[in-house]
Amino acid sequence: MQIITRRKFLKLTSGAVATGLAAKIISFEDIVNAAINNPLPANTPILVVVTLYGGNDGLNTVIPFNDSLYFSSRPGLTYPVSQMLPLDAELALNPAMSGMKTLWDEKKLAIVRGVGYPKPDYSHFSSMAKWQTGSPNNNLNTGWIGRWLDTQKDDPMLAISLGSVLPPLFSGAKRSGSALPLGGLVLPGGAIANQLQKISKPSKTDSKLMAASATTMRNLFAVSSDVQPILKAPAPVAPDLPTVNGGNAGGDNNLAQQFDVVSKLIAADSPTKVWSVSLGGFDTHANEANAQAALLGVVSSSIYRFMSQLKSTTRSNDVTILVYSEFGRRVVANGSQGTDHGTSGPLFVIGNNVQGGFYGDQPSLKNLINGDLAVTTDFRDVYATVLEGVLKSPVEPTLGNWSGRINFLKTA
Amino acid sequence: MDIKRLETARLFHRFGFGPKPGEFEQALKSGLKSTRKKILSVSKLPTSSFVSDPIITDLGRRPAPNTAGVIDFATTRRRQIEEMQLWWLDLMVVSDNGLIEKMTWFWHGHWATSIQKVDYPLPMYQQNKILREYCLSDFTKMTKAMVNDAALQLWLDGPSSTAKAPNENLARELLELFTLGVNRYTEQDVKEVARVLTGYQVVPWSGQVIINPIRQDKNLVTIFGSIGILNSESLVDILVQRKDCQRFIPERIWYRFISSSEKMPDNFEAVNAFASRDISKAVSATVNATAISNPKYELVKSPVEWFVAVCRALELIPSKLASGETLINHLNKLGQVPFLPPNVGGWPTDQGWLSSATALYRVAFANWLIQQSRLRVINEIPVAQRTQKSADWLGVPEWSERTKLVLDESASNPEQFALLALCSPDYIVSR
Repeated sequence: MQIITRRKFLKLTSGAVATGLAAKIISFEDIVNAAINNPLPANTPILVVVTLYGGNDGLNTVIPFNDSLYFSSRPGLTYPVSQMLPLDAELALNPAMSGMKTLWDEKKLAIVRGVGYPKPDYSHFSSMAKWQTGSPNNNLNTGWIGRWLDTQKDDPMLAISLGSVLPPLFSGAKRSGSALPLGGLVLPGGAIANQLQKISKPSKTDSKLMAASATTMRNLFAVSSDVQPILKAPAPVAPDLPTVNGGNAGGDNNLAQQFDVVSKLIAADSPTKVWSVSLGGFDTHANEANAQAALLGVVSSSIYRFMSQLKSTTRSNDVTILVYSEFGRRVVANGSQGTDHGTSGPLFVIGNNVQGGFYGDQPSLKNLINGDLAVTTDFRDVYATVLEGVLKSPVEPTLGNWSGRINFLKTA
Repeated sequence: MDIKRLETARLFHRFGFGPKPGEFEQALKSGLKSTRKKILSVSKLPTSSFVSDPIITDLGRRPAPNTAGVIDFATTRRRQIEEMQLWWLDLMVVSDNGLIEKMTWFWHGHWATSIQKVDYPLPMYQQNKILREYCLSDFTKMTKAMVNDAALQLWLDGPSSTAKAPNENLARELLELFTLGVNRYTEQDVKEVARVLTGYQVVPWSGQVIINPIRQDKNLVTIFGSIGILNSESLVDILVQRKDCQRFIPERIWYRFISSSEKMPDNFEAVNAFASRDISKAVSATVNATAISNPKYELVKSPVEWFVAVCRALELIPSKLASGETLINHLNKLGQVPFLPPNVGGWPTDQGWLSSATALYRVAFANWLIQQSRLRVINEIPVAQRTQKSADWLGVPEWSERTKLVLDESASNPEQFALLALCSPDYIVSR
């Protein structure tokens, strides 16, 4: 296990000067103590949830390249077969996903096919809400990870989402995850910091939202004092990638930058069990082929890079990545070389503890339901498997008595 | 809690952008009835003459990369977008037409269109004029104008939707987000509405819209079980006349003005008032609704609402701040910039604005604003009365014990006092 010494931490923190309100630097002693006193125990499983916003076209992600119906359904929207990355005799990855192909060859990538939920909803908002709440039938306002957080002890570091807005996924009834913007947080110091901490103490007369607002300010001080110094350090080196000026190339897109922050914090033993990162832009109603390839290229290379970075930490066997989108897209292209909202899509699970391969049935292109792919796997099967197998928690408090499981994790 | 103070605070913060110095005390004196009347009647005044209209022009087609003129184009485009954003923020801050600005803002979030995809400023400006014109008038007319609006068409792929290959994007959102609400139609309806809306073509830089009959599907369609040949006008008539529309628009008003977490009760007064599809009647019913005095219906101020209210209190004008770019940057970090909603569903609410990151950004933003204000109001209040009187200044129903204590401790330091008050849970939330 990598031991972060006090000296090492102090070295990391140099340069982390608080600016803004007052010229005083916050106490490094406090930062060091907080981060060293509460490291994530060795071998604790970690989940990284990757949300693709906009509805990723599953058929152009995992492509049924031997099915003539695929080509006849979407002229102008397919790729040359020679460029696709075949996984078996039927299915190939999008040409832009070479990193994922390598992970597949290494048996670290599980592809769950035809994932969705009963009575598909074609609205981005409703469908994403169903996926994030884990509840397709009832309009819950808590996320499935949020309900898991409700069963854990209160710790703002336990679940962290990259970006300044907290996804509903992380909202629980009693607790919520924390949001961490890219670039980290520069905290005010001095007298004003004291007063801000005081003004965010719980008050008996607080309404629900006032209490929530006060909590975010309290979490700010907790998260930023633990996290800030680590963010200033370089990301772990990915041994499988070429290096440029001491760092790895290819990290200049937003998703890779989010993963950089996650890898730094994992390397520093942040007591965080669930991470959330995201990429938008998948709503490809027009000119899809190039746009989607660019996005999938970002997803694939960022994940490959992150998996490689983990090799230079002690936690490469502990991390599981889950990649999903709110729905797939219509089989037949529209007239704008794009696709309209559809139903099921493939879901990716990645990690050293994953049994690579296909799970769930590939929806048929012949037997469509109103022009859409059938749902062959319920996303709750995936969530339940992750709750038990990764988060080592009972399923019931989060998903009720849901019985479906998928054996994409290696048994310990 | 003093219900009269609560209600007065809500009237100011929800149907306008917060009180200017002195207004809250004055309203408490003149009573709720008169405050309600004032809020609803100012809407008939003309747009404030303090803010001159921005000059937004037809930029012509974007020059190809690496050609002459591309830099000029990009610079002018950026300048016009910023000018447009500052113009609107200025109106929100200085206008005595609080309700008009608030309603225009509400509709911007309803027909949420982003310049990110529309690309050219002129169609966005034209759309704002439509929202402004109809913000308190006939919803049928507004919807007809919006279906024919260049920016909305571009935003939802209307110009690529043809009889041969309809694109469902605009059709679906028209049903789901703009007129009826989710699941109040069938998938078949979406497909048929998409056919009716084919044939639009738009010149993006000028915002010119035409309907090309060659690309238009003029065949019979079946919508909500009736068969007919429709155009966009008759389609909108059918949609807006549906009972679900009478419920849906009040639901959206409820969601943004009363509560985003509690469901709209069936007897919410705006539903009946909206029978004629007259928006001003629904809004007037909301101002007078019993829910306004119920303490449980709280909302978090969105970043723009918070910023504008702060400017009014600190007597600042957005376009006169140190840098327009820095201002937009602050708003962007908090997640809300005019003309840039995150997606067609509009901006989030409540918890969506509360994260440790936004807590920090709000502090930095408030600090930047306070540095540019004379803090006249605080300086004029004797130190011993600052905590108590600042509740009136900011339109806060009451400070919690915790906040009172901290404000008292900082009372002799006006900058610190203002920062803590503006970043307190008591101010961030509209009780």
